Amino acid sequence: MGDNNIGKVLEREGFKYNFTAAASDTSAQDEVIKEQDRLLPIANVGRIMKQILPPNAKISKEAKETMQECVSEFISFVTGEASDKCHKEKRKTVNGDDICWALATLGFDDYSEPLKRYLHKYREFEGERANQNKGNNNTYENNIANI
Amino acid sequence: MVMAEEEESGVSIQLEFPKGRVKKIMALDKDVKRVSSEALFLVSRSTELFLQFLAEKSAQVAIEKKRKTVNLEHIREAVKRHQPTRDFLLDELPPPSQPTKPDRPTQPAGRPKLDPPPRGTRRIDLFFRKPELDDPAQAQPPENPAQAQPPENPDQDQAQSPVPVDES
Repeated sequence: MGDNNIGKVLEREGFKYNFTAAASDTSAQDEVIKEQDRLLPIANVGRIMKQILPPNAKISKEAKETMQECVSEFISFVTGEASDKCHKEKRKTVNGDDICWALATLGFDDYSEPLKRYLHKYREFEGERANQNKGNNNTYENNIANI
Repeated sequence: MVMAEEEESGVSIQLEFPKGRVKKIMALDKDVKRVSSEALFLVSRSTELFLQFLAEKSAQVAIEKKRKTVNLEHIREAVKRHQPTRDFLLDELPPPSQPTKPDRPTQPAGRPKLDPPPRGTRRIDLFFRKPELDDPAQAQPPENPAQAQPPENPDQDQAQSPVPVDES
């Protein structure tokens, strides 16, 4: 099960990124893969940035790469705060409330309202899917892959 | 309630970032044992909001400086202007270049060594030290719009952008 997931991730990455550099060195390729795993895909980052920027604006490659780092740091920052709360309360699973609490604690209160709306929508979606699939894990994984 | 939610056509649960990648980044924190699907969803969405926010602020900085291309310095300035973002991100950004060449550092070996980052964070400049800097001779003079040149080489763009735009 876990191996299949790892394989899927690797395959997807292989499809998305064409490593033009010579890959004769296995350790070098592993380093590239690990580096990629640490960041969100630059294509997604660039696309979201372009949606926000004025039509005639451009983004340097260095800026896109910096944004990759910034959003990854944001994820680690919020996750760390939420995880600390879990530990204090002797819980093992980080849940949605922990994330909302972490965002508010870290000063990103503006995100609360839109996230509540998204969460409400998400729960509706989950409820519908649960009814349709009767909790079939394989179908769930397939749906995740299709998203 | 439900009808009101349905009327919000703008609200979508389609995530921009791949969930597996977000989950991997969350799991880099070894204290994180298990993450619910709701938490993963909220982190993905809040990361989108954060990226949109930072991109918007960076664009404002670029406009103030009469630039059409958003670059590293504009992101840094945007980070400085927002206290919550500044708290966790400013120290992680690459150090400023030499005053005469704000856009492109030409001597990576001479970069000052940063203080050890807080627990749980990673140094961001490690990423920038690995790739070799290209075109150091093309450093642009700051705030000289008359001589502004296209900063990105079209040939390099083609060579460096093999990622297909369409994604499933």
